[in-house]
Amino acid sequence: MKATHLVWIRRISQGFFLLFFLFLLIESRLPQDIYLRYSLVFSSDLDLRIQWPLAFFFQLDPLLCLSSLVSGHHFITGFWWALALTLVTLFLGRIFCGFICPLGTVHHVVSWVKPALKGKRMIEANQKSPSQRVKYLLLTSLLVGALIGLNLAGLMDPISLFFRSLALAVFPGLGVGIKEIFDWMAKSDIRILNHLSYGTEVLVSPVFGYGYQSYQSAWFIGLIFLLTLFLNRIRPRFWCRVLCPLGALLGIFSRLSILRLKKNHEKCTNCELCTKNCQGAASPIPGQQWENAECLMCLNCFDSCTEGALSFQLRWPRTLNRKPDMGRRALLTGLLAGISIPLLGRLDGQVHKVSEPRLIRPPGSLPEKDFLRLCQRCSLCMKVCPTNVINPTLGEAGMAGFWTPRLVMIQGYCEYTCTLCGSVCPSGAIREISVKEKIERPIKIGSAYVDRGRCLPWSGNGPCIVCEEHCPTSPKAIYFSKELVTGPDGKRILVPLPYVGLKICVGCGICEYKCPVKGRPAIRIISAGESRSVKNQILL
Amino acid sequence: MSHPITRRTALKRLLKISGGLVLSAFTRWPLNGLGSVSAKSHKKGFIVEGLGQKEGYSLKGLTRRVFEAAGGSSRFVSRGDVVVVKPNISWARRPDLAATTNPELLEAVIEICYEAGAKKVRIADNTINDPRRCFAISGAGMVAKKTGAELIYPRSSLMREMKLRGNRLDVWPVFVPLVEADKLINLPVAKHHGLTTLTLGMKNWIGAIGGRRSALHQDIHQSIVDLARFFNPTLTLIDATRIMIKNGPSGGRLSDVATKNTLILSDDQVAADAKASMLFGLTPDQIGYIFLGQLWALGTYDFQQLDQKKVIL
Repeated sequence: MKATHLVWIRRISQGFFLLFFLFLLIESRLPQDIYLRYSLVFSSDLDLRIQWPLAFFFQLDPLLCLSSLVSGHHFITGFWWALALTLVTLFLGRIFCGFICPLGTVHHVVSWVKPALKGKRMIEANQKSPSQRVKYLLLTSLLVGALIGLNLAGLMDPISLFFRSLALAVFPGLGVGIKEIFDWMAKSDIRILNHLSYGTEVLVSPVFGYGYQSYQSAWFIGLIFLLTLFLNRIRPRFWCRVLCPLGALLGIFSRLSILRLKKNHEKCTNCELCTKNCQGAASPIPGQQWENAECLMCLNCFDSCTEGALSFQLRWPRTLNRKPDMGRRALLTGLLAGISIPLLGRLDGQVHKVSEPRLIRPPGSLPEKDFLRLCQRCSLCMKVCPTNVINPTLGEAGMAGFWTPRLVMIQGYCEYTCTLCGSVCPSGAIREISVKEKIERPIKIGSAYVDRGRCLPWSGNGPCIVCEEHCPTSPKAIYFSKELVTGPDGKRILVPLPYVGLKICVGCGICEYKCPVKGRPAIRIISAGESRSVKNQILL
Repeated sequence: MSHPITRRTALKRLLKISGGLVLSAFTRWPLNGLGSVSAKSHKKGFIVEGLGQKEGYSLKGLTRRVFEAAGGSSRFVSRGDVVVVKPNISWARRPDLAATTNPELLEAVIEICYEAGAKKVRIADNTINDPRRCFAISGAGMVAKKTGAELIYPRSSLMREMKLRGNRLDVWPVFVPLVEADKLINLPVAKHHGLTTLTLGMKNWIGAIGGRRSALHQDIHQSIVDLARFFNPTLTLIDATRIMIKNGPSGGRLSDVATKNTLILSDDQVAADAKASMLFGLTPDQIGYIFLGQLWALGTYDFQQLDQKKVIL
């Protein structure tokens, strides 16, 4: 096959997988047209599920699979996709980077649409450099860290990073902007604008979210994403070359690859077009030794060579390729970082001593220690949550739990009959539970307490009892008793005062969310009492 | 304060006020003379109680009989009308827990509206739980699909600030489709409620507005009456096929539910609620908003003033 054909196959494949990734990302929410037969609904509690294989790209990712395995001793569901990809890599090299990886595609497009450098400078930039060892350092530290008990792979994993950036920053950011326009149009007195706003919103909101989606500290996630895009100005596909730990892992596997770049020295005119177009700085030019571990399999060198001096060929029987240039120093540093980061991460005492009161994990989450071994910080749970309550942490879970999910009850609440987050979690850090289990066991995520100084009836500011109304348990965990309190003018008034029954409270947080005292509500949830922890209990 | 008004502006204002008074007086008189304003409120309302006594009675059949007893659906829905049905689907709870309007009843009402010639029937509710989950689990989504009714999701762009001119609520964001409807049918479920004792028809209007709804609880009964006056539905049909007798308004266990097999249809919101309150063994004046509703002449719980009918199946 001719090189141009192969390059086009690559482009089509990249486009397909990028679109598939975006499609699954957009479908990671409850649709508006869920229809259940009410003969079924009438008799039993149904678990609403999303039918698409939302976790596909996470299952395809050998780094996530491997890190879950070494840290949590857990095979993630659908891990055989990753196994298959590993096998493919053993034969064909970093095909994933060139043909499949959606983040790689985005970097590829950015580097191609707006090349950072021109002519000679681009050729220089595409020479292999020692900085490319950084990714091996990162890979070592992530895997060693995972082995010791802190799985940070998701912070750097391209699938996790891309999903997180799009789901928490790019899409909600655009969504909020668009929604503001719709609301402005709806408010206007011009009738056509009103109708236009209703009509277009129906089309747009399934993509960008049904309300004002908000994620605390998502600005930071978005900023980092922009930074990784900007890095393409320094070197093409900077992320893939220098930073990507998955690329490093696949690079190591590619040592056995039988797909090789064959160089013909006689035909080479030393025009350096191959180096100029090389995305991975893998020394494609005849005269230098091809770095198969760095090669992203973009096939640009093959395509750009006008003399026919380069070609990709399958070679059997298998012989070992050139060793990946990891560098001993990088490996040692990685080892050191891998050992120290999990230990430093334990120093806040969250695992062994006391939990942060506002660290409320989604229902079905594993105990903190196991949770940190498995959570890949991919934000899929945050994306699917219908009430937008699940947010990425910044400091609440300590350094070890950076960007892990946490429920922020002023933004939403955990719906009593909803079990969606556990059903999508790719790594099993949030267990899949059923409504029956959630209600009957029950699975508690925390406990509510009344802040009497803020509470309207307790502070003598009149009747309210919104918390009791919304409390979803039966019997209600929030109950009231009518008592006399002193009102603002000194008069005694009879109002219902809320109390919380800790035995029944599951910590769902609807009371906090609906409390009329906004911002810092008069009834709040703390993690104490969460059923996943043995230590973090209140009652005998 | 800083500018004392000049003689000229004072005169102008006086003229405006007196002129306005005179004008308004003129417009008022002939209207009163014709009696169109006062006559309407004196028109005799009706209340129909439907009871399914037979084992395995058809709820759809009962609904039809109740409408027939009220004079037939064409009395309320005209050809080409856009009808909005406002059920209570606040919670993502399965129908037998009585937290939401019975989907079978919803389906029956929509069918009746279409048969009466309605151009379009819409189901609209600003739910408490996530609307997608509420509509799916309560069965309302299925009903919409089956009957071809349009399911209106609450969105911030569909909430528009309107003047309610209530005693307590002045300006409040209102769920627009309910205001734009030609005919509005209130289809609540009868439930227990901690603060107001019962959730019935008039209270269902809290699901028809947006904004800071949780602040209404500070003067809940008057707020409910203000909303009921503003929305003023064509009909109220209370679903008391099964009622929630405790742990309301969310419930959650079958032991919170009692079967009553009753439907209450009325064009008088106060009367319908009053009748339903009696199913709980209460008297109407024990419920603050029913009492206030009569006080503000929104309706009456003196059933003698109404055309009373009873249908038993």
